[in-house]
Amino acid sequence: MNVTTNAARLVRQVLAGEVWPALADRHAYRVGPDGQPFLLPGMGGVTLGVHCGDPATGYASDHLEPGASVRHRDSGANMALQFLTCVGNEVRVASGPAAGAVGHVIGQHAYVLADFAEAAAADLTAGDAVTVLALGQGLALAEHPAVVVKNLDPGLLARMPGGSRPDGRLEVHVAARVPAEAIGAGAGMVSEYANTDLMGAYQGLGEDLSLGLEGLRIGDVVALADADHRYGRGYRAGYLTIGVISTGQCMLFGHGPGPSTLLSGPAEAFCLVDDPDANLASWLHPQAAVAEPGGERPGAAIPGRAR
Amino acid sequence: MTAGQRAAGRSGPSALRPVAVNLLGVVEQPAFGDSPYRVDRDGRPYVPVGDGGIVLGLQLGDSVYGLAGDHAAPGACLVHPDPASRHALASYACIGNPVRVRTGAAVGAAGVVLGQRGEAGRVIVGLGQSDLGRIRPGDEVAVRACGQGFRPPGLPADVQIMNLDPALLDRLPVQLPDEADGAGAPVTVGVRMSVPSRLAGNGIGRPAVAWDLDLQLAPPGPGELLLGDLVAVADIDARYNVGYRRGWVTVGVVGHGASPLPGHGPGITPILTGPAAALRVAADPAGHVGLTGAMVQLQ
Repeated sequence: MNVTTNAARLVRQVLAGEVWPALADRHAYRVGPDGQPFLLPGMGGVTLGVHCGDPATGYASDHLEPGASVRHRDSGANMALQFLTCVGNEVRVASGPAAGAVGHVIGQHAYVLADFAEAAAADLTAGDAVTVLALGQGLALAEHPAVVVKNLDPGLLARMPGGSRPDGRLEVHVAARVPAEAIGAGAGMVSEYANTDLMGAYQGLGEDLSLGLEGLRIGDVVALADADHRYGRGYRAGYLTIGVISTGQCMLFGHGPGPSTLLSGPAEAFCLVDDPDANLASWLHPQAAVAEPGGERPGAAIPGRAR
Repeated sequence: MTAGQRAAGRSGPSALRPVAVNLLGVVEQPAFGDSPYRVDRDGRPYVPVGDGGIVLGLQLGDSVYGLAGDHAAPGACLVHPDPASRHALASYACIGNPVRVRTGAAVGAAGVVLGQRGEAGRVIVGLGQSDLGRIRPGDEVAVRACGQGFRPPGLPADVQIMNLDPALLDRLPVQLPDEADGAGAPVTVGVRMSVPSRLAGNGIGRPAVAWDLDLQLAPPGPGELLLGDLVAVADIDARYNVGYRRGWVTVGVVGHGASPLPGHGPGITPILTGPAAALRVAADPAGHVGLTGAMVQLQ
């Protein structure tokens, strides 16, 4: 993105995390929109076969978290991991048979979500240690003071299309536009943690549930209408939030594919360009990020400053 | 026919009698982390006051915007030290359930459940102002919980009722159809206002038997809104978690006041949810009378 930032002044931290197991309780079932009981995988552990660029919906899954779901055992250290980790940050596997594999953060969902190439993900499991190079909180756009940046690695920002326009607006390419009616669970939470579930994307269920969002893909950059995520997540007419779809199919009612927050500000500060290629897969394809142990760190080539 | 309509026949048996259970609640003390500050919707730090615990000087019929509070409720919030027991307390307690103080200086004082709050779970209870001034955090309060599973005769089959003491239904502005109205006649509910689903905030995606639904109505709001008012939210289905369903409506009772937090605001405890054709709402912004202190003998 062609934009002046303070990326050179940001602090990079090395954080430890652990691939977290999927969790269940002895009652097993949860309840879908029409009262249907379900037991479906998706949260926690390592979810295989779904990566950035793949459809977000259409799976027999609930809260599908592509790739590895990562936490820290200590509650305070875990919140630091969740708050400081940004979309686009490099994640390196630090133990187990996949040690040395490199992936990227695609979002937060009360877990840090890290997408790896399928071959690396196949060797990962719960308990494996990962190292996150956290960078991005505090990122600011000098020419766009009304736009708040959150959870966004400056290297990813540099690779995204768009940027400052002569009319003073920030051009952002988006794969989908989301109406305010779609905002589900996550409203009222801080915007550095978990994500905003989008309703209206229950593929295969009733038309009265649909808001036309069944075509979302994992990694899509989306625009949320009338959403102000500058200081948390809330409705505010005339504001706009840009996010990246980091989770997929849900059966739990009031939930759905969810964007992690990247940018938020008054709608007039943005110029949206509809672009089906506005997806993390265009800039962070995990196939290109596989590195041998001890090899050059792929992220080192990402510029910290766009111009 | 939609999937929701097909499933409506499962919304609950009507001939079964509701069961009452005595539960123990403990008067809450508000809790903070290491920092006193929260950040409001405009980015300003503030110290939340009234977010749980005992709130004095706030009653049913007062404006949700009247105090500089955060989720302030008209009375005392009850919790339980065991998380599972606390969830059960919030899930089973229903608006209108009688409560009685069992320990402390106000022992014997009677009150009533006015609503609930989600996440870890809280039950909001109203007491007389003199009794509220004598209780303290840690006092034990017995709750006679009754209402989940209740279905009044005549309630349209695809309308679900929840969080409501069976004895309170007749006193609220809820008109059930009778036999003369014929099959398929709707239930009609008087409300202060109807708001669109995009204003539904915290509580979306959560179970309506245990959570409230915050309405993102920043002061001064679209019009006066009082604690105890009934409010309708369009296109929200609250039967199985709270979520968007076009053509449905959910009605709740306002149980706590406004909040500076983004995504939060005055909260309703849902009592009725169903298709708009079967659950009709009649908004009366000036003359609406919802749940009042006189109705539950708090005055």
